[in-house]
Amino acid sequence: MNTQLLLIQVFNGLVNGAFYALLSLGLAVIFGMLRIVNFMHGALYMLGAFTAFALGQAFGLGFWPSLILAPIIVALLGMVLERTLLSRLYGLDPSYNLLLTFGLTLLTQDLVKQVMLSQYAVSSAPYTPPAALAGVVNLGFVVFPKYRLFVIALSLVLCLLTWFVIEKTRVGAIIRASTENPGVTRAFGIDVGKWVTGVFGVGVGLAGLAGVLAAPIYSVEPYMGSELIITTFAVVVIGGLGSILGSVVTGFAVGVLAAVGAAIYPPIANTLVFILMALVLLVRPSGLFGLPEGTR
Amino acid sequence: MQKKTLTALLSTAALAAVTVALAQSAKLSDNVVRVGVLTDLSGVYSELSGQGSVKAAQMAAADFMAQNPSFKGKVQVIGVDHQNKADVASNKAAEMIDRQNVDMLVDLPTSSAALAASEIAKQKKIPALVVTGGTTALTNEKCNKYTFHYAYDNYMLANGTGTAVTKRGGNSWYIIYPNYAFGQDLNKQMVAAITENGGKIVAPSDATPFPNTDFSSYLLKAQGLKPKVFGTMQAGADLVNVVKQYNEFGLRQQGIGLGIGLLFETDVAALGQDAYAGALATVPWYWNMDQRARDWAAKFEKAFGKKPTWAQAGTYSATMTYLQAVARAKTDNGDAVVKALEGHRFSDFFARNASIRPQDHRVLLDVYTVQVKPKAQAKENGDYFNRVATIPAARAFQPLSESKCKM
Amino acid sequence: MTVLPRTAARTERQRMTRAAWLIGLGLVLLILPRLIYPVLALDILAWGLFAVAFDLLFGFSGLLSFGHAAFWGTSAYVTAFLLSHGQGVPVAMLGGTGAALLLAVPIGFLSVRSIGIYFSMITLAFAQMISFVALQWTDVTGGENGLQGFARPGFLGLDFSDSTTRYYFCLAVFAVGFYVAYRTVRSPFGQALQAVRDNEQRAQSIGYNPTRFKFTAFLISATLAGLAGSMFTFGHGVVSLDVLNWRTSGEVVMMTLLGGTGTLFGPVIGAGLVLLLRDVLTTANLPVGIVTGLVFVLVVLFFRRGVVGTVQHWLRRR
Repeated sequence: MNTQLLLIQVFNGLVNGAFYALLSLGLAVIFGMLRIVNFMHGALYMLGAFTAFALGQAFGLGFWPSLILAPIIVALLGMVLERTLLSRLYGLDPSYNLLLTFGLTLLTQDLVKQVMLSQYAVSSAPYTPPAALAGVVNLGFVVFPKYRLFVIALSLVLCLLTWFVIEKTRVGAIIRASTENPGVTRAFGIDVGKWVTGVFGVGVGLAGLAGVLAAPIYSVEPYMGSELIITTFAVVVIGGLGSILGSVVTGFAVGVLAAVGAAIYPPIANTLVFILMALVLLVRPSGLFGLPEGTR
Repeated sequence: MQKKTLTALLSTAALAAVTVALAQSAKLSDNVVRVGVLTDLSGVYSELSGQGSVKAAQMAAADFMAQNPSFKGKVQVIGVDHQNKADVASNKAAEMIDRQNVDMLVDLPTSSAALAASEIAKQKKIPALVVTGGTTALTNEKCNKYTFHYAYDNYMLANGTGTAVTKRGGNSWYIIYPNYAFGQDLNKQMVAAITENGGKIVAPSDATPFPNTDFSSYLLKAQGLKPKVFGTMQAGADLVNVVKQYNEFGLRQQGIGLGIGLLFETDVAALGQDAYAGALATVPWYWNMDQRARDWAAKFEKAFGKKPTWAQAGTYSATMTYLQAVARAKTDNGDAVVKALEGHRFSDFFARNASIRPQDHRVLLDVYTVQVKPKAQAKENGDYFNRVATIPAARAFQPLSESKCKM
Repeated sequence: MTVLPRTAARTERQRMTRAAWLIGLGLVLLILPRLIYPVLALDILAWGLFAVAFDLLFGFSGLLSFGHAAFWGTSAYVTAFLLSHGQGVPVAMLGGTGAALLLAVPIGFLSVRSIGIYFSMITLAFAQMISFVALQWTDVTGGENGLQGFARPGFLGLDFSDSTTRYYFCLAVFAVGFYVAYRTVRSPFGQALQAVRDNEQRAQSIGYNPTRFKFTAFLISATLAGLAGSMFTFGHGVVSLDVLNWRTSGEVVMMTLLGGTGTLFGPVIGAGLVLLLRDVLTTANLPVGIVTGLVFVLVVLFFRRGVVGTVQHWLRRR
């Protein structure tokens, strides 16, 4: 493979990696705080894209306001679900929350489909990049769409921001404390329950944001998140469950590796991430950045 | 004298009619012909076939009864959801035949379900008319005495588009295809059709992962290769992704046209027709191709509330063709109806200049290569296509000499 | 002095309850093809055994596998492949089951070292990998067309073209599979397994090696899932990529939960209920995903004991 093709694949991989990173970051934040794996993450990503579409249809809102509003709406919905449904299962085996969110995924996908069918006769929604980012830019080695460069940049900024908030601020300290020892944190007069809902909201909000970002370039349809979520699970396992840094680094790395791998040997594209996962697990059962299981 | 002759003639005719009618009613199993529409009522194909196909079959049944007042039996339509699962399709096909006395199966979207139901049709000796399932295996290695392939198949799609586009000057191609049997097959046929017509394949076709969302590397490659036509053999959600990104990368502006392997009306609706403007594909029918088609489409829209897709129109036509065969055979016995269908020539609003090839049960009909119009040229909602070529029935499908069918 | 007889009475009552379940379930399964379409009845046997296999792992070892479709599906394909290459029914079914066991060795080895939710995600990822392989390996699996039309040659004078005969043959196979699961759970190994499930550290401190126990349970469970998968192929005469889909892994979880986790009888009932629901939905004109999703959510929220668990709980309270 020549250098030019390699560079092209790296850029393509970064775009996919941006989505993996945003999604696995949300999963990691939620897992860190609540110890649950949110199977619904893919469905919420899909809801983010459809919310952007609906905002455009109902209020004529374009991409930019939707980029802010849609994730907030998804986050609020997530918080309602957390308060009304997920919270009923705290204290039980975390498997039950995985199963609950699995059921909610099936439900959400088909609900969106039925609503779309009743309104538009097709279940997919058209969506185009914003005018300011339409078109392509010459990078020297390749002509690349502007919008995709924006996706990479925004995703990187958001990931860094989340990492900064959690590692360096007081809010982050509280979150980390309530993750590691809810009892002691509560003794300091901090309402852990309130933080749980907020953190869940932020996590699913990131999924919603990824969905809005995906809407202009990927097909907006009710099952758009169903295969993606499983790849994201593999990314999270490679990175180490609950590790913020791990999820971001692995997200981008897996995106790039899969793109380069697909160029070298195409049939491997969809399985590469799972092969990577198996290899990592052989060497480090708790993932690249995860702490050994006993210490969590 | 003349009056007497006339009376005699009339009474003989009446007697004959009654006899025929009696004979008919005597030979129908339990006096009812039951049409089983086995389709996808809930999954990805439900939009282009689904309830619309059930409605189309019901319309065919009602129209048949109206057109054949001498037909003494009743026609009943039963719609069942196979949920896009081959095992459910197989199970429900058998149960419909054994328990509900269904006399034929029709529609059958998705290859695995169509093949599974075709197998049951063979075991139970009742006809199955596959409309929405597209695999050429149905008339090749998996063909059987009771299965008929009605509307389209991979060969017709690839041959139609490859030939028509190349002849129109789109003579240099770069093709991508999803890496599974459907895509591999479609690619092979497409390449053959293009090269036979003097076209050039500028780079070996690329197999893409399936399912896949991001096609940017292939689109960037196409940018570099600058073929006249970028051929995509993807289907469904993958196709929508390709077309969306084809627009994003601005390939149309760079003079690279779009050739599509399998295009359903729902795919166009998913992105809006401007995203597809200029794209070429081959279809067995579209609702506003001429007055006859429009008349039927208007009836369908009145009954169902939506414009018909070609899958739904095909289900009507297949059901009607079957019922007319029952009338000719004067029985709904599977073997007799198969015999009445084999070699039958007909032409209706859907299938023009059609005939049923007895050797492999391929239904031959005229098909059309179409180009998607930009929204500005559309006269009404759903007015998507301009016809660029009509491929006559005799040349539209795989020639018998190439068929692997042994019945 | 008074404590002992009461315990004995309780054990006696438990044994009676268990016997009642066993006899009841057996009777229903014996007359099932008279009540519903035989192929659907056969489906209930296959999925029922699949759910029992899953329960062995989830209910008795505490491991939520979200990728059990890998074993069920691999066996289904291998069985179909062997049948279409002229092998007899017993060879094909054993071949499929053996393939599931072989596959379980590496997957189990890599996944049982992880606990809880980690385990679920790893098994899911492996199943997804198998599913992609099956899609691409067209020569063996038929790709998205699947395999169909393979022979099911008769065996011991049985004519397998008749679905009722197929049912009773599968009922015998099911009985063997169920017996294996039942003996596993009741054996000292099963007791140790439950000890590991309840408190891994304590189990370790009294000399058990948790990983080895879990690995063995994983192999048994995968083998039984494989046996169930071969029954599925044999019963329908078709196999398609659905058998390896992640939704299949989800469905078996739903069946187990609905019937009652850790009850062994329950999953069979759960399988029956889910399949009957699915059958009703083929003609009910309701969106399948919404109905199954809703059932799933409601069961997880309000009916975690499942049918059998609820009845047992109710009996115990009396």
